Amino acid sequence: LTSDRKIKANRVNAQASTGPKTTRGRARVARNALRHALTLSINSNPALSEEADVLAREIAGTDPQPEIQELARRIAEVQIELRRIRDVRHRLLSEALIDPNYETLAMMRKKFRAIIHYARAFGPDTPTPDDVVEFLHSKPEGPHKLATILADKARQLLALDRYERRALSRRKFAIRAFDAARRRLRP
Amino acid sequence: MAVLMELESNSAGFRAPRTQVIGEILVADVAALEWEVLRWRRVKVGLLRTHELRMLTEFLSGPALDYDLYREDFENDLQQLLQDKLEKDQADVAQTLSHDCAEGNPDAIDKVRSILERAGLDLSKILKRAETRKAEELAVEYVRHEQAAVKLVHELLAEAGTSLESLISERLRNGNDLDYIERIDRLTTIAEDRRNASLREIYRRRAILGEKLRRSLQEIEADEFKVIEGKNAA
Repeated sequence: LTSDRKIKANRVNAQASTGPKTTRGRARVARNALRHALTLSINSNPALSEEADVLAREIAGTDPQPEIQELARRIAEVQIELRRIRDVRHRLLSEALIDPNYETLAMMRKKFRAIIHYARAFGPDTPTPDDVVEFLHSKPEGPHKLATILADKARQLLALDRYERRALSRRKFAIRAFDAARRRLRP
Repeated sequence: MAVLMELESNSAGFRAPRTQVIGEILVADVAALEWEVLRWRRVKVGLLRTHELRMLTEFLSGPALDYDLYREDFENDLQQLLQDKLEKDQADVAQTLSHDCAEGNPDAIDKVRSILERAGLDLSKILKRAETRKAEELAVEYVRHEQAAVKLVHELLAEAGTSLESLISERLRNGNDLDYIERIDRLTTIAEDRRNASLREIYRRRAILGEKLRRSLQEIEADEFKVIEGKNAA
């Protein structure tokens, strides 16, 4: 069990943790949620909020009870959020997949090092060996390309997966609460 | 794609009335996640197939491939080249020379080598090209499960004291691809877990709909794993 002394110390220390102090730091964290806007509430976007309203009305149907309307709105918000997350993931993968010149940063560096190595070792006038030319022109294709993209975008995909997992959990509990309220309030 | 359409048409068969919006959302989730599971599995199989083909070609391009298997190809390539390099009225000479050279006649080999060297060509590279081409052909036939190729490849692997599985696993260990496959397996598991969670929610809300959907999924998954019959060699 956490001692009272420790709880008090944590609370006092937390008062000092107020985030970045400098103007530059504050400006930077102010843009954190704008990278893919997935942490922003649906209600901050009028178009999405309107969509959530429409879906909430469909879920609640003709039931006029405020509790049902409120719970339906919760499900609708999470559903729209889930769609947003999946759209971002789809865009991330498909943009890389349709790019015919897609190359990972690591592979670009490797190729650059190979060019420098051969230019230094044999001089600029010596023709580059066939296998090196083949390596420089090589591009990931087919399933290998998708596998490379998955590895390259692992960090972003992991973050999106976390958002999706949380949204799915919230949707599950919102649906259960909605079903329970409907059973309870059924005339 | 056909599988997704099948799943969607299956789910449309017992689609809930418009008032059951939550049910529709969950069914759409199951369909999308099942599609994702199948896609990741196919990507994984595709990756392994690529390695199978590449490893087999590399293995067969080495000393494992018997010269007799590609001698005729080598002779044809040589004849074509010699006809281009010799005078037009020496077509017969080209044929005899290429045949004798492919048979290993030392005089013929020397003659061919000197003709090719004058043209800036290398006899050993022509031999290697024929060997690689044959290895690629054989590897493709093996992947297509053509019986003659499967039998021959298995014999060659046994003679070399190895197996395709060990060649592939060695290659995977040495490259990034084991990591790729693990990543794809993880994505498959995540999609399966989420699909099952949506299915459980459907089952909890409407047991009959959930049961029908579960059976449809089982049928689709069973169709994915068919026994591949070996094709008879023509």
